[in-house]
Amino acid sequence: MLLASLYIVLCSARNRLNRRMKRLREPRYLLGAVVGVAYFYFAIFARTRGRNAALDAARARNANRQRRGPDPAAAIAMVSASGPALAGLAFLVLGIVAWVLPFDSGLLDFSEAETAFLFPAPISRRALLVHRMMRSQLGILFGSVIVAFAAGSVTGWMRLRISIGMWLVFVTIKLYFTVVTLARTRLTAERLTTRVLAWTPLALLLAMLTTAGTAIVRAFAASPVESVRDAFQRLGAVSLTGASSVALWPFVTLARPLFAPDWPAYVRALGWGVALLGALVVWVLATDDAFEEAAAHAAARRAAKAQSKRASLGRARATGLSLALNGRPETAFFWKNGVQTLRLAGLSVLRIAIAMIVIVVTSTSATFNALHLQGVAATACLVSIALAGFAAILGPQVVRTDLRSDLTHLDVLKTWPVRAAAVIRGEMAWPAVMLTIVGWIAIASATAFSAAAFPRVALATRLSVSAAALLLMPALVFAQYLVQNAAAVIFPAWVPLGDQRPRGVDAMGQRIILLAGVLLSVAVMLLPGAFVGGILWLAFQRIVGPPIFVVGAFVCLAFVALEVLAGTEMLGPVYERLDVLAIERAE
Amino acid sequence: MARASCTLPPVALSVDHLRKAYDTLVAVDDLSFAVGAGEIVGLIGPNGAGKTTTLRSLAGILRPTSGTIAIDGHDLLAAPIEAKCRLAFMPDEPHLFEYLTVEEHLRLVARLYTVDDFDRRSRALIDELELTGKEKSLPGELSRGMRQKVVIACGLVRNATTLLFDEPLTGLDPIGIRRMRETIVSRARAGASILLSSHLLHLVEEICSRVIIMAGGKKIADGTFAELATRADLATAGSNLEQIFLRVTGHE
Repeated sequence: MLLASLYIVLCSARNRLNRRMKRLREPRYLLGAVVGVAYFYFAIFARTRGRNAALDAARARNANRQRRGPDPAAAIAMVSASGPALAGLAFLVLGIVAWVLPFDSGLLDFSEAETAFLFPAPISRRALLVHRMMRSQLGILFGSVIVAFAAGSVTGWMRLRISIGMWLVFVTIKLYFTVVTLARTRLTAERLTTRVLAWTPLALLLAMLTTAGTAIVRAFAASPVESVRDAFQRLGAVSLTGASSVALWPFVTLARPLFAPDWPAYVRALGWGVALLGALVVWVLATDDAFEEAAAHAAARRAAKAQSKRASLGRARATGLSLALNGRPETAFFWKNGVQTLRLAGLSVLRIAIAMIVIVVTSTSATFNALHLQGVAATACLVSIALAGFAAILGPQVVRTDLRSDLTHLDVLKTWPVRAAAVIRGEMAWPAVMLTIVGWIAIASATAFSAAAFPRVALATRLSVSAAALLLMPALVFAQYLVQNAAAVIFPAWVPLGDQRPRGVDAMGQRIILLAGVLLSVAVMLLPGAFVGGILWLAFQRIVGPPIFVVGAFVCLAFVALEVLAGTEMLGPVYERLDVLAIERAE
Repeated sequence: MARASCTLPPVALSVDHLRKAYDTLVAVDDLSFAVGAGEIVGLIGPNGAGKTTTLRSLAGILRPTSGTIAIDGHDLLAAPIEAKCRLAFMPDEPHLFEYLTVEEHLRLVARLYTVDDFDRRSRALIDELELTGKEKSLPGELSRGMRQKVVIACGLVRNATTLLFDEPLTGLDPIGIRRMRETIVSRARAGASILLSSHLLHLVEEICSRVIIMAGGKKIADGTFAELATRADLATAGSNLEQIFLRVTGHE
């Protein structure tokens, strides 16, 4: 089976590469490839070179500063020494998160072809898992190499070390998530032994977390932290001494190769890491009785799996949205996309919410540091502003419940007796309205707490700016949705279908070009309104005062509303000519 | 926005010099035919003959390279809304919205096509197509055959006067096949013009009053079984559709 797996992996990789090379004959892919390669060059290689030069300069400066102040090189060494402990703690947290969030490694997601060819074949389920592990290696290797280049290491040997270290981390994480996926399905098994085996890793993990957490609390509660170095040293000590060192050992061991100071230490650390990985492989294969059971009931289980895969799209729970049998066609699309969003709420909205929380918290923390602000009210204000900014600027990129996701149903939409402009307006209406409402709530929240965050700004100014923001929110959101949907209609082959994403450097370059085009188009759309609004502000600011913001924003909104209406009408004929065959099917 | 009324007199489908080309490949070439009200016409041909491309062009999914298509006198390109109002296309692959239930699919179609008496019609269709109990199910919870029935229900819930079926029996069980045959015939008796593409020649022979045979994107035969059987070059093939099909497509 190993040779057969290798054959599948290598042939698939070769054919994929051939296909991607062939598609470079198409200008859009060639252009995408040029932009993608340029992006990689400037984002990684050029940056690495620049960083190396900067490092050299910093070393030279440090040599001069050594006599006068603290040694930055020593600080870097200190971080390196505490690195395994910090990374180990991060891995421990990830280990817990894996049980809480509904994500899995994907190692058990057999493709339809794999299911059709390999499941009926006379091979063991363990061999199937080994096959999946082998199939995942190319992607993991590529990711490891990219990380090594992005790390900005000095020598090629160091890059090699980082690549191998990252490969070890990625493979171990993937396998660990597989363990979690397998165990999670058996947490409520009927057999006591099965249940105990499933709960064991979780119980172990919680014990490790408790031990490590207690040690960290003790280390930091004993005396106030004097400096960053002190904090690092305490964390390092937690990972090296006492019971916590045992609890953290697997996690620290995994991270150690990345921070090894020299080759002998690296080889030793790698040896332990590989041993850990081996233990995990044995664990996955030994606890994989789900597959052993599947061997006995292969046909029934495949049907059940297919059924559960279909059913996992969501249950038909009530949404509270009802469609009247008469009315404008736009509202039918609004309803359809609304129902989709509400039924999807358990899955993708959770992911979007997590992304939003990460972005909002990060940006808010940075802002806090910059402004030296404190207090719950100020926090609420800045978080609300960040949320509003996310809804206005990133929201339309992320929430794709419009024509972009419905391109997969184009052959159904095209048979409907609805004007093309109405289709486009209807498709973009739901996500745009939803994001606008989210933005409005965030702005209202920011306004309510604005006194705490901006105490020196007058109430009239704050209210005027808020009112202007309320008016600009739909302008920004609808303008972006128009451009995104226009791109879907004019360049359907450039728009990923549904959740699928074309792969490859050329596809990445295409996305960069598309994003730049969208941003430029939105800027152009906002320009007339911003120009007129700006003139009004200049002319009447002294007379009217802060409320002139509202007038300017209203003018901008009016311009954008007209542009959106005109834009959807202009896109109508393009939609009519749109050929379903022009849409790119993902690999 | 003004929308066309979907309740107009009985119709016929007419196709005139239809051509659909993909770059250098001509999938359908100079195809002309008509389907009268109450007529069931079978569209048959070997794989790659251009049947599905023809049906997808007639449904407004693919834009013809040249030629005209008229539904009840309404040109599909010039007056697409009026034409599509009278048209129902049931594809071989059931494309449904993953997050709409069976009932919601029917309701959406009823809204888009302005269906009167929706509740009665949808209830009758759900019973007719044996979808009872599945009204609140999502497509992902249905078998392929059931999903096919939902697509057909969406096509039949409105007052379409021209029905296009592409392999309508795919995925159906024997009872479903029998019901579907009855459904198609009853729609024709009610005055609908029906174009049906299928590889099941016995089905075509049983319910179609006329057959169009395509090969290489061209129409190579068109007529009733009796007409085809008496054609000079097909006379020796007898009246069996399979024999006629094999003869005209050059496989015998």
